[in-house]
Amino acid sequence: MAFDDSGPSPSGAGEPISEAEALARLRQTDDQSLQYYAAWWLGRMRSRHPEAVPLLCAALRQRQPRDPAAGVEHNAVARNAARALGKLGDAGVVTDLLAALDDDDDGLREAAARALGELGAEQAVPALTARLRSGLAGAGAPQADSPRLQEPCEALIEALGDIGIASPDVLEVIQPFTGHDRLLIRSAAARALLQLTAERCWGETLLGLLEHPQLQVRRAALMDLGAVGWRPALEPIRATLAENSLKLIALRGLVEDGEGEPGVDALLAAMDDLL
Amino acid sequence: MGTPGTEPLPTDAAAGLIRAVESADSAVALLGASAALARHLSSGAAPSPEAVLALVQVLGFNNPGAAVAAVDGLIACGEAAVEPLLANLDAHNYGARAWAVRALAGIGDVRGLELLEQALSADIGPSVRRAAARGLGQLRCPALSAEERRPIRQRALTALEAAGEDGEWVVRYAVVVGLESLGLALAGEAGEDGPLPDGRALLDRARRALLLRSTAAELTPVVQLRAVRALALLPDPAEP
Repeated sequence: MAFDDSGPSPSGAGEPISEAEALARLRQTDDQSLQYYAAWWLGRMRSRHPEAVPLLCAALRQRQPRDPAAGVEHNAVARNAARALGKLGDAGVVTDLLAALDDDDDGLREAAARALGELGAEQAVPALTARLRSGLAGAGAPQADSPRLQEPCEALIEALGDIGIASPDVLEVIQPFTGHDRLLIRSAAARALLQLTAERCWGETLLGLLEHPQLQVRRAALMDLGAVGWRPALEPIRATLAENSLKLIALRGLVEDGEGEPGVDALLAAMDDLL
Repeated sequence: MGTPGTEPLPTDAAAGLIRAVESADSAVALLGASAALARHLSSGAAPSPEAVLALVQVLGFNNPGAAVAAVDGLIACGEAAVEPLLANLDAHNYGARAWAVRALAGIGDVRGLELLEQALSADIGPSVRRAAARGLGQLRCPALSAEERRPIRQRALTALEAAGEDGEWVVRYAVVVGLESLGLALAGEAGEDGPLPDGRALLDRARRALLLRSTAAELTPVVQLRAVRALALLPDPAEP
């Protein structure tokens, strides 16, 4: 359910700074809140500056254990660096992201997984599947002291779907998560399997979630249908009760990533109605 | 409609529906009540100020389903809803503002022009800017002559041109849709009033703004695609 570009825009977001200023803020290490904002900015603006990727990789390596007392957590910079690297499209950063995927911080593992998915990093498939292989009782079990799961399952599953290698092993690892207690995880699993197999039943699963009484579940199903670009979902997307902003993002996915019927004219007309 | 002293009082049926909206104690109840009141007003019942106000308040409750119904009802109320919408804008709730701008955009009353201009150029909520861009393309001014409409069209066009590089793709998409509607209105008016050089100049500007979005310089494919479709619909003033 990755909301494109909605990723944490820090306070002060939208504050206009120059690319040179962003690079300078990321290069210094005294004030992490400046680094945090700079890393986000470089990703958001899709910086093409030759120093952007090396500085973001350095920021990604700059990690330390969580220390909530220190204000901005040190790893917050690394997480934003991972997110930005996912947006800049440089395949040379995969090794650094794979290292982050082994970090103790599950939030950083989540950001790294999403970035690897965005980059379509095929060499990450073994590491991503390994993290999920313990299934519902392992990776998918809740942590003792937090609402989070042992592994960032949603991000790992979605990354596998985005990368798009439909090997029997990948399918077998994802499949159990279609029965996870949490509906957002089910939605992510159905999305990935629809991307990987193009089997209609996974689209139908998402359509079922689109009718769920909880808004949060409907939102997740919307984003997942959009990410796949599954065009038979047009009418259910129009009909579901959710914000027009999210419906527009989903329909953009149907236009840009989908194929077949309904055609582009019908999709654009539906988008016009939602503005 | 809307003249002081002659405002319609709520009928018994409407009063019951208004009470149901005001007393709804769950998201589902609010959705049902808002939809029922909106249907009542859409069926041609004269809108009372109480009914309009009840729907305006629904826009601020963070209930998208109910807000969709309320916007439909407010659009059905037409000009009777314009002043209450303008008077009750919530500066701190951008969800509510987006719905209000959307209702004003749907009504298309020129009294909303200034608000739509401000919203498109300065509102922090992309959903607000998006609704404003669409609305600027569909301002209706049937009572005005083509000459009186010209400055209104020109202001709408200037606002849309200025928003063509908005950082959010969805706002640029809405700008394209707004330019298309505005261009079609200008083309229609040129036809009905004979040759109007200013109108053709405005149409030409609308086409040029769309051209900018129709090339690879526009990085969002769906926006580029929509701009190409819009250009195909608009007559080219350079051709006889």
